Parts: sequence; structure tokens; C-alpha cells
Amino acid sequence: MPPLLTVSDLTTTFPSDGRRVPVVDHVSFTIERGEVFALVGESGCGKSMSALSLLRLVPKPGRIDAGSIVLEGRDVLALSVNEMRAVRGFDIAMIFQEPMTSLNPVVPCGAQVVEAIRLHEKVTKAAARERTVALFKRVGIPDPEQRFDAYPHQLSGGLKQRVMIAMALSTHPKLLIADEPTTALDVTIQAQILELLRDLRRDLGMTIILITHDLGVVSELADRVAVMYAGRIVETGRTRDVIDAPLHPYTRGLVRSIPARAPRGVRLHEIAGVVPPPTEWPDGCRFANRCPAVLAYCAERVPPVETRERDHQVWCHAVTAGLLP
Amino acid sequence: MSAHAKPVATQASPLLQVEGLSTWFPIKKGVFRKTVGHVRAVDGVDLTIEAGKTLALVGESGCGKTTVGRSILRLIPARAGRVLFEGTDLLALARDELHPYRRKLQIVFQDPMASLNPRLRVREIVSEGMRSFGIGASDAERGERVAALLERVKLDPRHMTRYPHEFSGGQRQRICIARALAVEPELLICDEAVSALDVSIQAQILNLLRDIQQELGLAYLFITHDLGVVRYLADRVAVMYLGRVVEHGDTEALMAAPQHPYTQALLAAVPTIDPTGARRVVPVLGDVPSPANPPAGCHFHTRCPKVFDRCRAETPPLYPVAHGDSRCFLSDPAR
Repeated sequence: MPPLLTVSDLTTTFPSDGRRVPVVDHVSFTIERGEVFALVGESGCGKSMSALSLLRLVPKPGRIDAGSIVLEGRDVLALSVNEMRAVRGFDIAMIFQEPMTSLNPVVPCGAQVVEAIRLHEKVTKAAARERTVALFKRVGIPDPEQRFDAYPHQLSGGLKQRVMIAMALSTHPKLLIADEPTTALDVTIQAQILELLRDLRRDLGMTIILITHDLGVVSELADRVAVMYAGRIVETGRTRDVIDAPLHPYTRGLVRSIPARAPRGVRLHEIAGVVPPPTEWPDGCRFANRCPAVLAYCAERVPPVETRERDHQVWCHAVTAGLLP
Repeated sequence: MSAHAKPVATQASPLLQVEGLSTWFPIKKGVFRKTVGHVRAVDGVDLTIEAGKTLALVGESGCGKTTVGRSILRLIPARAGRVLFEGTDLLALARDELHPYRRKLQIVFQDPMASLNPRLRVREIVSEGMRSFGIGASDAERGERVAALLERVKLDPRHMTRYPHEFSGGQRQRICIARALAVEPELLICDEAVSALDVSIQAQILNLLRDIQQELGLAYLFITHDLGVVRYLADRVAVMYLGRVVEHGDTEALMAAPQHPYTQALLAAVPTIDPTGARRVVPVLGDVPSPANPPAGCHFHTRCPKVFDRCRAETPPLYPVAHGDSRCFLSDPAR
């Protein structure tokens, strides 16, 4: 069976000073059915823009300039506007970081889910309501019958995110994109939502693209991960391989700068400097100006891919040259 | 009111001692805005910070940790309690008597963009406090100090003529730290100071705070929801839940063997990158109840996996445990 989703050389650009600046630059990955694939990186690395590109929701004046997105053999970029509308919500559903801004504040939660169902399927209101209540129950909303009529502001952040997940699941999508789904939540609520996503994957065989800045969340949920830096994937592989034995100097730095793992009284590992703005990204390796293992040609040449065991891939001149273990 | 605010410090007294601090916010209803109740944001909190040490105040949204910080600085009026700074009760001081203490206690907020005046240059931002407290004889001298401070927080002193929007988030937080250090404080309150930053930038700021503490012997009250940061940085930690401290003690010992079920849940809930960290159980169910109407007895009893009858009826006191104290009947030595 071919993979559920194949993304090849996806390039999304924004105009700046008369030229197109890529914020997602030749990003490629495949996603198998039933797996959780994480895109991880810091602010501005292009992870959210990659997800919006999959749904063809790149805000103007940005646009997808090159590459292909193939969902179950269909070229998503070749679809008409109407066909694309059917893909959104039906084939691919998305949940966002801040559920309050994604829910309509003046419509009761249940009615919003009913609307989503009836947009994609010809079912009666009563049947859609029944399904919504069942979904509310499925995503762990207590008293689903009462909560059906609740307005978003009457629910806590965790419950609102559950409503969003219920809405995303309402049309049995093939792929769920979760963009920082727990970032705005308190840690005990975050644990509950992560558990819910784990359940959905186990019980429904849900395929999930998880977008996050938190390697802890990746570690708990994802089978495979791609680390993004300045618009490009710099390393990808199975979660345990990438986190336990990172190859790229950026991934290594990221893992080592997490305070929870650092011994007390020892200086935290720092990645020097800051991510440059997209207009100042180097031609070669984007990490060159911050890299502790930088070589003379890193800033000029785009690194080739180096593939290790179990499809652990890295794009780094120093690794390819055998200078990093 | 201020006559009683005489220093009563002895050699052994801590830098800051908070006793029975309570801050309530009125709930107003109706045309006449009649007060119908109170949100007990902070309800009888005791804290101690030694000079040069770090106390972390940790908890989830709405637990009152930020209100504690602001009540200590009198940015929000407290309802009851004492805030003894070097023996002087800050809550009992008149406005003009408080002024010199503003220099000794400084704060760094979560969102540096919201706490820096966008129309002032960095030089003005950092030197404003110095002028207010008469530090530096002339503008030229203050300018030199600003340059030194910027260098101290690893910013280019030549950038002192720039405006806040010309800096990145991490750099802005460095400006906030420089501004706080400009008046030579003894206690720095960091209210989620690294929470909005990316992890690689967060590491830079945490290292900077650590270096500054070692150099200047500054004490920190570190208000955060991030237990990873607490574990790394704090000497002691106080865990808050719905306005009360539920557990308190030495950081390493507390994290190794948390006694209160809420602390246990909080620690278990943190996603870790360790291979063994993948949890299969949800630590606690449900949401935090509203602080306007907290549950009777132990506030945590509605979510506690170990709840029993007594928890619903009585408020547990702080019982002494190996690393400090715990507000749970299970920690009662008489049990």
C-alpha cells in the first residue's frame, strides 16, 4: 500500500524586497497510515507553515511555489477550489494551539460540531446531534448532553480543546494535523489531551501530524520526527533514534539545552545566537552561523542527505565528512 | 501605620519572609457593583527566601503564584499578612517609606515586549531607575553604567540607542534583566521570565540568571509553571494549588520524593524526552476548580486519587515531612 501522504520538495514563499523568500524550503516527508509523525522546531522554523501548506491555507501574500503533496494518490496541489474544500475537514482535519480562537464564541459548542458534520454529509440534525454527543463522550467531555448546549466561554481550555478534537474527528478524517495542541494548556491538562490523542491513535488507527516545539511531547506521542530549522528539515528518523542519538548539531544542541535533563549547578548547553530572519538565511546550511562544528564551506553549500540505520537521515556537512560521531 | 515598621532583623533572619499573605479580589454584581464574594487568589501563604538563594513558586494557571509576586511588591494590595524584607514589613510602610525598597526588590515579567516602553531607547529604559534612585552623578556616568550593564547581559552596548522592537524576544528579556540590575536589587522576582522563549534561547537566559546570581549574590523568587526549570535552578520550591502552598521544601529532595498527591501528579504530568518517560496513565482527572468557589476542605480533594472523607471536611495544615512540609492528611505523622 502506498503511504497515506507523500510531500516532496514543498516550497512555500513570501515576498520581500521584490523577491520570493522561502519559509518552507524543499521539505519532503512521507506518512504511513496509523502513525504519529512530529514536525518539531523553534518559532519561525516553518513547521506551522508546512502544515498550512498541506491544507493549502497559506495566508496571502505567501504561496506554495514548488513541490508536490500527494494524499492517497491524489495530487492535492492540482485540486480545484471546491475539491480542496472537501479535502479540508473531510480528508484532513486540523486542530490549533488556541481553541478559543478556532471556536465561534456565539454558537453553542454542540451546534458547531453538528454544522461541521452536515457540511460534509447528508444527515438529519437529530442524527448529527446524536453523533456529536457520542463524540463528546469519546473525547472525554463529562456530561456530554449538557455540554452540547454550552458556549465556548463556559468551558475550560482543556474542554475547549476536546471540543475541537471532537469536531476534527466528526467526519472521520484520514489525517489529523495537531498544531501545538497542548501548548496553551496547563501541564496536568496537557497530559490528559496527550493521553486522548494516544487513545484515538490506538483505537481508531488515526494518523496524526503533530506540530510542536516540545521534544517531551514528541517523545511521548510520535513514532517518527522531523526536526526543522529555518525552513528546512535538518534531521528525521524514528523518535527514539533522533532524541537518544541526535546527529545534527542543531538537534544535539536542542536536546542538551532542555533544563529538566541538566544536572543542577552545571551550566546549561546553549546554542549561540538566534535564528536569523528568513531574508538573511545563508545559502548553504542554514545553521552554519550558529553551528559549533561549522566547516569552511557550510555557509555556501547545501548539505547532502546522509542516511543511517532505520532511515535516520541528517543534512550536515560535518556528519557526512565523518567529523561528528 | 508606618510607626510599627521598624527593622527587627537579626543576623539569622532571612532576606524575605512572607507570613500569612492573603490577597482577595472582590466579585461585584448588579447595578451598584455590590461585592457578593471574593476570589481568594492567595489564601494564607508563608514563604522564606534566604539571601543569594532561589525559591521557585510553582503551580498551574490560576493557582495564585503571580498574585503572590505582585502582592510582595505591593503592585496589588494584600488583604492580610506580612512581607518582611530584612525584617521590615513592606505591607505596613507608607508610600514614601516604600520607595527605597523598590530599589531592593525588582521584577522581570514574562512578556518583555509588554513591559518595555516602545517609545524609549534602551539607554533610557535601563537608566530610568538609576535616575529615580539617584544612582550615578551625571547622564554621562549613567550612560557608562548602562553600557556596562548591557555588556553584563551580553548585549552590544552600541545598541543602547535602539528601540525595543529592534530586538528579538531573548534580547528584550536581557534588556529587562539589565533594567532590573541597574538599581542593584537584592531580590529579583522572575515571573515566568523564560516561559515565552524558545528552548535554546531559554537556556541562554537561565545561564545568564545563574551567572548573575553567583556574581552578585542576588536572591530569586522564580515564579513558573515549568518544573524542568525549577529542578534546574531552584534551591527550594513551594507548590501552590488554588491559593495555598500545598508542599514546600528542598528542591532535589522534594522532586525525588513528592509527598502531596498534587505535587506527585504535577511531576508525573510533565512530558519528558527520556525513553522511560512515556506514561500510560493520566496523573489527574478533571480541571482546576474556580478559585472563586474552591472546594471545601483540601482544595485538591475533587481531583485527588487518594481522597478520603476527612479531606472533604477539613483543611489539612502543613505537616512537617523529610524535605520541608506537605498540606495533606496522608503526611500527618500521627497517622
